[in-house]
Amino acid sequence: MATTTTETVTAPAPRQTQVRIHLHTRSDDIELPQDTGPILVSTEVKRYQLSTLVNRLLETEKPVPLEFLINGQFLRSSLDDFLTQNGISAETTLRVEYVRALIPPLYVASYEHDDWVSAVDVLSPSSKPVRWMRNAEGPAMPQRILSGSYDGLLRVWNTSSEVIATGQGHTASVKAAKFISPTQVVSSSVDRTIRLWKFEDAAAESAGTLTPTLELFGHKASVDRIAAHAPSSRILSASADHTIGLWSSKKAEAPAAPEEVLPSANKRRKLSNTKTVPQRGPLSQLLGHQSQIADVCFDEKDATVGYSASWDHTVKTWDLTTSACVDTRTTAQSLFSICHLSESSLLATGTSARHITLIDPRASATTVSAMTLRGHTNVVVSLAKDPNSSYQLVSGSHDGTCRVWDIRSVRAEAMDRVGDSVYVIERNSASGGSRPAAGEGVKVFSVCWDADVGIVSGGEDNQVQINKSTTS
Amino acid sequence: MVPLEDDDDEDRPNYTVTTDANGNPRYVYGEIEPVYDSDDSDAPANANTIGNIPLSYYDAYPHIGYDINGRRIARPAKGEALDSLLDSIDIPEGWTGLTDPATGKPLQLSAEELQVLKKLTQNDMPGDGYDPYPDMVEYFTGKGMEEVMPLSAAPEPKRRFVPSMHEHRRVMKMVKAIKEGRIQPYRPRTDEDREREEAEQEYATYDVWANEQPRPDHPMNVPAPKLPPPGYEESYHPPPEYLPDKDEKEAWEEQDEEDRTRDFLPQDHSALRKVPGYAQFVKEKFERCLDLYLAPRVRRSKLNIDPESLLPKLPDPSELKPFPTTCSTICRGHQGKVRTLAFDPTGRFIASGGDDGTVRIWDFTTGRQAWSVKLSKDEPVNAVAWRPGNDTCILTACCGENVHFIIPQGELCPPDQEARSREILDAGFGHAAAPTTASKTASGATKPSASTWSRPSSTLQSHGVLLTLTLRTTPKSLSWHRRGDYFATVSPSTTSISTAVAIHTLSKHATQHPFRRLKGLAQTACFHPTRPLFFLATRQRIRIYDLQQQKLEKELQPGARWISGISLHPLGSNLLVSSYDKRLLWHDLDLGLTPYKTLRYHSKAIRDVAFHPGGLPLFADASDDGSLQVFHGKVVSDEFENATVVPLKVLRGHRVVRELGVLSVGWHPREAWCASAGADGTVRIWM
Repeated sequence: MATTTTETVTAPAPRQTQVRIHLHTRSDDIELPQDTGPILVSTEVKRYQLSTLVNRLLETEKPVPLEFLINGQFLRSSLDDFLTQNGISAETTLRVEYVRALIPPLYVASYEHDDWVSAVDVLSPSSKPVRWMRNAEGPAMPQRILSGSYDGLLRVWNTSSEVIATGQGHTASVKAAKFISPTQVVSSSVDRTIRLWKFEDAAAESAGTLTPTLELFGHKASVDRIAAHAPSSRILSASADHTIGLWSSKKAEAPAAPEEVLPSANKRRKLSNTKTVPQRGPLSQLLGHQSQIADVCFDEKDATVGYSASWDHTVKTWDLTTSACVDTRTTAQSLFSICHLSESSLLATGTSARHITLIDPRASATTVSAMTLRGHTNVVVSLAKDPNSSYQLVSGSHDGTCRVWDIRSVRAEAMDRVGDSVYVIERNSASGGSRPAAGEGVKVFSVCWDADVGIVSGGEDNQVQINKSTTS
Repeated sequence: MVPLEDDDDEDRPNYTVTTDANGNPRYVYGEIEPVYDSDDSDAPANANTIGNIPLSYYDAYPHIGYDINGRRIARPAKGEALDSLLDSIDIPEGWTGLTDPATGKPLQLSAEELQVLKKLTQNDMPGDGYDPYPDMVEYFTGKGMEEVMPLSAAPEPKRRFVPSMHEHRRVMKMVKAIKEGRIQPYRPRTDEDREREEAEQEYATYDVWANEQPRPDHPMNVPAPKLPPPGYEESYHPPPEYLPDKDEKEAWEEQDEEDRTRDFLPQDHSALRKVPGYAQFVKEKFERCLDLYLAPRVRRSKLNIDPESLLPKLPDPSELKPFPTTCSTICRGHQGKVRTLAFDPTGRFIASGGDDGTVRIWDFTTGRQAWSVKLSKDEPVNAVAWRPGNDTCILTACCGENVHFIIPQGELCPPDQEARSREILDAGFGHAAAPTTASKTASGATKPSASTWSRPSSTLQSHGVLLTLTLRTTPKSLSWHRRGDYFATVSPSTTSISTAVAIHTLSKHATQHPFRRLKGLAQTACFHPTRPLFFLATRQRIRIYDLQQQKLEKELQPGARWISGISLHPLGSNLLVSSYDKRLLWHDLDLGLTPYKTLRYHSKAIRDVAFHPGGLPLFADASDDGSLQVFHGKVVSDEFENATVVPLKVLRGHRVVRELGVLSVGWHPREAWCASAGADGTVRIWM
């Protein structure tokens, strides 16, 4: 069946050079039948014709837009041009990898804040907090966007750019905010605390609320990033006091807060709310980093493993059950962000040297850096994984752009494998003008990629910006 | 014989028939009268045939000889003596007195003949009216006489235009023969040939280079300079752009021959065979020879050293990473100049002080202002410095005559650090009484104390300013001892030289003025990181004092006219000095009193210089030209190896405001990040 289709599609036109290609993919759902051998195609074809060809071979009802990678480069022109540019003979059999096309993310909306936006997170039917609670009413879940701002407020937005709920409680800038579950939010702040909030969505008449439920004390300096894992009710926090906190989101499970860090010990700090909120301490503090921790994340597959990136150039792997450091990988630069790519077992870290280093944390890995993604012009402070693909990620940087990367698109250089960004998302507030020096005024502080909402990023321009690929 | 007298009767034969002795007819021919039109023109009328004998032999005979026919020539009748006498008296016309030897008669010459003879003797033309230079008679030329004599008016036959097949065949035969070697196209010239040719030549040639031997490359042998190779212009068929247009041609022709840049005009010929002979060939060759002969060729002594080898072997900057390359953050907020900045010891924040009298603390990764306090309305903040040590969080700021001790609020420092800092600041109040009483007893009750340690106003206290040290001079620089108990302030003022330099003890709230008599205007000072040494920079000198023995250990002479700042390497053996006269000086304290290296890369005054405090081999300077320069300066503990200094990067970005550029530079305590304070009111972080 497949062979007959092949012949009809690639009926050789006279006087056209043809090239033998071997199609393969790493995605199981769009894999070709086993017996599909090398196919002769005209070198005139471009991405679209190849995509149609593969879709016909796959006999899909709805065509899947596909992109084609040859030798780690995306096919952007005709095959003929590609072969000429790369000096490949048309007589060789090309190994062509096809991947689901990444639609360029287009600007959708911006949500205006009063101050810089330091953190964003998304609640949607396909987002992690909803997937964690398996018995949830999944598809009926509305899309919500959580933002933390430098004015100390948490805000929950609906998709029509209205604030549903505001969380007031932090006495200083909020540095991180995450949904744990559709009803629970965790945030951390410069005021050294982590707060858990109960989120009630807007009902028919009443507005939504964010009610503080728990205050977690234990850090001695600003808590810059948090990572949450709902099924094990664990929270990891990255603080500037060189420690990582491991916390429980359950009030009963958490130990009492240490006395010396409680605000009551310091008479100078006034408590804003009279209603007392329960205060708890950390399950454990992970010591080992020599400098402040920039970012933490859980292992996507195993929630008892955590990873941390620090300014002291290291990525540490933590066993959270024993609170022990398992492995340390030292890079050449200070690290500002980390993200776990579970399928390829890599850790993406954003560095002060303005690139993203992919680190293999497994003990068997011989080299520290598996790959380098270059293109940003300032420090990379936020990373998020593509929810639909295990090979793509988005990064937010202080240069005022978010960049989308595909780790399959790499080229080998002298010392390293280097990748380039697939798409660049500029800040809408800075559109039209040239990028300011040092990303002044348009720095991106946080980025989040959701399957339903798209790429959400917040930054120095007081805005949460949503970009979405139109068909994905 | 009857002479033929009748000319008209031509029919008559000129002979007569007689009968000879045998009876046969005999033809006797008559005398031929040589008339004008007869064939015989030169025969004399009656030529005597006696030959060359004297006539006197015939005196005895009546005749004087014989004519051609053998007849006697009768003696001309001689007149009688009377006749002769008469003749002599009456000389007839034309009488010469000469006797014609041919006829024996008196030679008579006519007047015309005499005239001719006279002319001949005078070397004149003999004939009268004879024109020696007659006009040419144009028989065949001239007007109306032109003759058109075409050989043929037929059109040229075609064979004249097409190559001859026959010749072609013959040539090809020859070519084939040459190729096969049957014909040698030319015989190689032998020496005999050459000699013969020379012998054949009509004039002698002397080839002065004939026996020239290739000389070895002797230093004094100057070979003739080579002629430049011909260019497109010299081509017989140059590209059109090389052909002169009309104006150029005219200009060239008008120019004087001496002024012409080239002595020919490029000309286009469709084929090489159409190129005419070059008229200037001999002249050019001659001039070339003349040039070679006359032009003095001077041997210049050339330094035969590879310039690359003179450069010091410096490592490539890309191998010396990390170092700051780009501006990563711009912190805006100060009004007016930012005069000073300092990274906190943990490396999380940066403090800056400026002309607006505020001290601000920035989160330098985001550029967010974390905290600020206004210390004074009109006085600028001249210096900020953090107390060394990770256990405390104390910022000192010099504003006016005051030195403020600040514990920044707003959750910037952990609570335990804050508590420890408060303890340190309060510890001195117990000691405060002793020095004041001492100064009173020394110089009378009225003398005001050189320094006062006090609590600031309550508004400042609520902002975290917990202690204020008031001096009587304006300190412009402040540097801490690494233990965090001593610090030195320097007030560059001409009025109070004795109190210009002060060393304070924080734990005792005490102030000392160690240099009562200081030569020069003190600029800045710093402590040695490990040894009890104190570095004091005056305007032109740097003095190193031993604090324990209280004596001057060394005086460095950087040679700068006005020192702006100094920075000591964390190992303590190398000192960087920046000066307002655009120079950056590297002093190796082990090497001597003069600078080991002078770096002169800036175009304006250098305001500040800083070594990396955390062990990276980096230093940076800040200049009024709005740029910072980052250098790699590796100091090795090996005493025999000199420090290597490699310029790495010029960091530009600060705007120059009223001739002021970058005023201060500082390094992150661990990373290769530096910060700069600019006159444009920004603090920039470079990563």
